[in-house]
Amino acid sequence: MERVKKLILVDDDEVFVYLTKKALKQVDFIDLYSEFGNGLDALTYLRQHQGQLNKLPDILFLDLSMPIMDGWQFLNEYSKIGPFMGKKIHIYICSSSISPEDIAHAKTLNEVSDFIIKPIYKDKLIELMRHFDA
Amino acid sequence: MEKLADFKHALDESAIVAITDHRGKIVHVNANFCAISKYTAAELIGQDHRIVNSGYHSKDFIKGLWNTISKGQIWKGELRNRAKDGSIYWVDTTIVPFVNQEGKPYQYVAIRSDITKRKVSEERLKATLRELSDYKDALDESAIVAITDHRGTITHVNVKFCQISKYSEEELIGQDHRIINSGYHPPDFFQNLWKTIANGKIWKGEIRNRAKDGTIYWVDTTIVPFLNATGKPYQYVSIRNDITERKLTEEALKKSNDRALGYIKAMENKNRQLVDFCNIVSHNLRAPLVNISMLVDYLEDAEDAIERSELQGKLKPVINHLMEVFNELVESIQVQQETDIVSDDIDLQKIIDRILVGFAPQILLSKAEIKTDFSTAPGVHFPSKYLESALTNLISNSLKYQSPDRSPVIRIASKRIDNKVQLSVTDNGLGFDLKLHQSNLFKIRKTFHKHKDAKGFGLFMTKTQVEAMGGRIWADSEPNKGSTFIIEIDSSSVWKE
Repeated sequence: MERVKKLILVDDDEVFVYLTKKALKQVDFIDLYSEFGNGLDALTYLRQHQGQLNKLPDILFLDLSMPIMDGWQFLNEYSKIGPFMGKKIHIYICSSSISPEDIAHAKTLNEVSDFIIKPIYKDKLIELMRHFDA
Repeated sequence: MEKLADFKHALDESAIVAITDHRGKIVHVNANFCAISKYTAAELIGQDHRIVNSGYHSKDFIKGLWNTISKGQIWKGELRNRAKDGSIYWVDTTIVPFVNQEGKPYQYVAIRSDITKRKVSEERLKATLRELSDYKDALDESAIVAITDHRGTITHVNVKFCQISKYSEEELIGQDHRIINSGYHPPDFFQNLWKTIANGKIWKGEIRNRAKDGTIYWVDTTIVPFLNATGKPYQYVSIRNDITERKLTEEALKKSNDRALGYIKAMENKNRQLVDFCNIVSHNLRAPLVNISMLVDYLEDAEDAIERSELQGKLKPVINHLMEVFNELVESIQVQQETDIVSDDIDLQKIIDRILVGFAPQILLSKAEIKTDFSTAPGVHFPSKYLESALTNLISNSLKYQSPDRSPVIRIASKRIDNKVQLSVTDNGLGFDLKLHQSNLFKIRKTFHKHKDAKGFGLFMTKTQVEAMGGRIWADSEPNKGSTFIIEIDSSSVWKE
């Protein structure tokens, strides 16, 4: 497996995307491959590149509250195509929500690797990679 | 002599005959006497009539008999006797004294006929009558009774009827039952009652009546029609029982039940609002705060002036955004707190005309056609501030999310369903996927179109206002066909938390 992981960021908050990019620049093991402003655009991309392993990410950061198609709806749709992607995509919910209800719901979904509460700094990314390697 | 013998023969054939001496000792009986008393002639001769005494008649009765005949007068009467086997028989009796020259009876001839059958049925009849009168006494004692003729005119009332209705018998006889009608039951209630009993069927039910002094009483009622030979009712007997206390308890129970249900509904509403509020704070307030805190952290570590000014430039819009969300939240909470807002009588056509004035430029520009129909429900009772805001928002959405392929047609209509009024705004615009967006449709900061003005606040606020007044809002839509939003409000009495 390559050492540098490909990341897709799905979030409508421009400032947060900007800040996450800054944090990613500080580490050398995650490469921001692509970004989408809502669930539908991300889903469309994944559907179009099913099986094209070099165009698919290793990690997907998913915001919950988004227009057009929110994070939950994305996960519901992704559960139908996930097994046919040809590659395991590790989905991390990245939300500002601290609602226990959201966190509990995320735990029930197989597609979700973990729930990351915003903000995201360099050390959170390092922590994440340690789990990822293990 | 021959003639006399013929008479005797005829008498012996037809009657029960006995002859006694002046002391009452039997000297002759005929065959009929033996047959009915079941004694032989030998057993009877020499006895007196006590042999057939049943012990039924009083001593005075027997004394009277003897007084009459010993004076030489004929006695007639009905006697109850006992036969040898103990069976009872009744005889219609005529005793004729035969007197000597001194005018003293020397023998008595008793001529009897068997009237047992008549007496038994008479006794049965008496017993039945007594039983009937007992029933009537018991009924009068226990129930409220009235009898009416076939037209419903009261012909009889008992004491209990007078007591509960507080009318005298004289006041009631000749009236019909409308005299105690409390106006509580709908007309078809009594129509149904009359239809039942006029068809000869028994009617049972609970009726609320008004007494002469205006007090209300409830009676459990059974009306029995009495039918003539042709099967037509000629009178109705109504038997009622006072159930006022039970009814009052039931009513009080129902009232307190309804009140409890109202509280539960209000509490459920409050709880849902609290959950919504918690989600809003968690999602919509925390997000900009996170951004601000991150920006500030990076500002501290900024390596040069360029980076610093870039970060500072990002800070301002986030703070503005936070302010905006915060203000929206405050506005929505104010609606929920505004418990003393008054409802107005609103003319729907007038309020729509006023709102449309504000949209005149957009309508002109998009060549939108607005159709209204308030013919079946022209008005509602609702806070006009909320209704104006809700309708403005829905019309604004219909104009904002119009289809690029066709001119907007917006239909605004009202209809009444029971005691509720449904207001609908229907357009032929972009629409949306209902299945996908149903759960988020009315949530704050949720948008469904890539439109520069989509903020996700209008529908959230509309729902908050409608629900604060006990109403409901829902939508129906199909992508690229259009949307319908329906607001349902209680128009008879406005329920407010």
